[in-house]
Amino acid sequence: MAEEEKKLIERAKKDPEVFSELYEKYYSQMFGYILKRVANLEIAQDVTSETFLKALKNLWQFRWRNIPFSSWLYRIANNEIVNYFRKHKAKIVPLEKISEPISNDNPEIEFIEVQEELKKHQDFLRAQRKISKLDTKYQEVIVLRFFEKKQIKEIAEILGKKEGTIKSLLHRGLEKLRKDFFETL
Amino acid sequence: MEEEDLIKRLEKISLPEIETKSHRERLKLALMKKYLPERKKAEVFNIFKKLVPAGAIAVLLFFFIFNNLNSQKYNLAKAKEIALQNNEIKNWLQQGSTIKDIKVVDGKAYVLIEPPEVKKEQRELAPDSLKSGVAFQENLTEEEKFGGALAEVNIKEKEVKNIKKLAPDAIDLIKSKKDKALDIANKSQEVQEKIPREAEVLNINVTTPKFRLSKEGDSVSVIPETETEEKASIIYQFDENRCEGKVDLNKERVEEIKCLNEINTGATKEESER
Repeated sequence: MAEEEKKLIERAKKDPEVFSELYEKYYSQMFGYILKRVANLEIAQDVTSETFLKALKNLWQFRWRNIPFSSWLYRIANNEIVNYFRKHKAKIVPLEKISEPISNDNPEIEFIEVQEELKKHQDFLRAQRKISKLDTKYQEVIVLRFFEKKQIKEIAEILGKKEGTIKSLLHRGLEKLRKDFFETL
Repeated sequence: MEEEDLIKRLEKISLPEIETKSHRERLKLALMKKYLPERKKAEVFNIFKKLVPAGAIAVLLFFFIFNNLNSQKYNLAKAKEIALQNNEIKNWLQQGSTIKDIKVVDGKAYVLIEPPEVKKEQRELAPDSLKSGVAFQENLTEEEKFGGALAEVNIKEKEVKNIKKLAPDAIDLIKSKKDKALDIANKSQEVQEKIPREAEVLNINVTTPKFRLSKEGDSVSVIPETETEEKASIIYQFDENRCEGKVDLNKERVEEIKCLNEINTGATKEESER
């Protein structure tokens, strides 16, 4: 499996058309992760676009070190989330307050439908709102662990940190979250 | 509430598994159509980026070499021009001397002036010379005795700072050549046969050596050329007679021995024939 992916990446480096195969393989996973981090459909679309653009531009720099390609994409996504909020200096607009699609490019019907679907997950939205108040380092480990269902080892690979560090970050993040989580949940 | 309870609650949260298909398609199209040419441009740019430093180094190197060569040529020409304006040098050159070599070091040029070629016949032993006990060099005029000179030219100040005449006798090399000539003569069978052991060596003369400039680091020195014809003349005196032995220093052999009595005999015969 890893060998196949390695070959695919090598082909994609030489022939950018092959990149579309990687895109098809990882779009849902990346969009899902970014949405769980930002809890906003439009921002998730923007950050996903930036993530794949960066991946495409920098694919030639990718070196296979027995770490899945998805880990590299997660890392780009994490950077792009930080970059997005740094650039826009905007807080996430709660989904409940978004009544209309912001982007005219999105087909309205689909956007509204997806938005409505997202609104159904109120537990997730409330939890995400609490998590988004934490430092980025805690947000990353908590979302990866509980929303992306990643193992500690995988999180360590994605964030480029030691497993012990991840455990420690997770523990401290949960500790901070615990204090006010159940009061409003 | 314990951490474990929080973990359980987080794990139970129903997560949205949604995506916008239209965005997926639009992004894919955008990446493939819009960004692929950019990526290709980036690849070309990357190749260019790699080539630029190499190209820049090559251009700089070329410029440096070209500039250096040009500057050297300019300095040599300038040094020659300045030297030619000096009266003493001008005088030597009018009498047949030539500018043999120029070396430039640290803004200073060293110009080597070579004396005119001494005519062969002037080098030949004249009977009078043998009588007086001197060899061919003593037959030469003051001008002909000029052994060359080294002029130091300051290119910036456009003037000849110093002129040093190369006096052959003052050069250690001459002494070593004299020693060598005597050594060759002493070993020669012809000398041993014709010249008695008790004969006194009146004089040893060697041909004026040719010189060239040698640049070593920041200094310039005058050194002899290795491939010039080197000859010596030794005057012996014994029993009211004088002889001259001509030595080829390159071939390390005695070429000829002429004695005064032989010359006088020759002259008497010629007179009686007349």
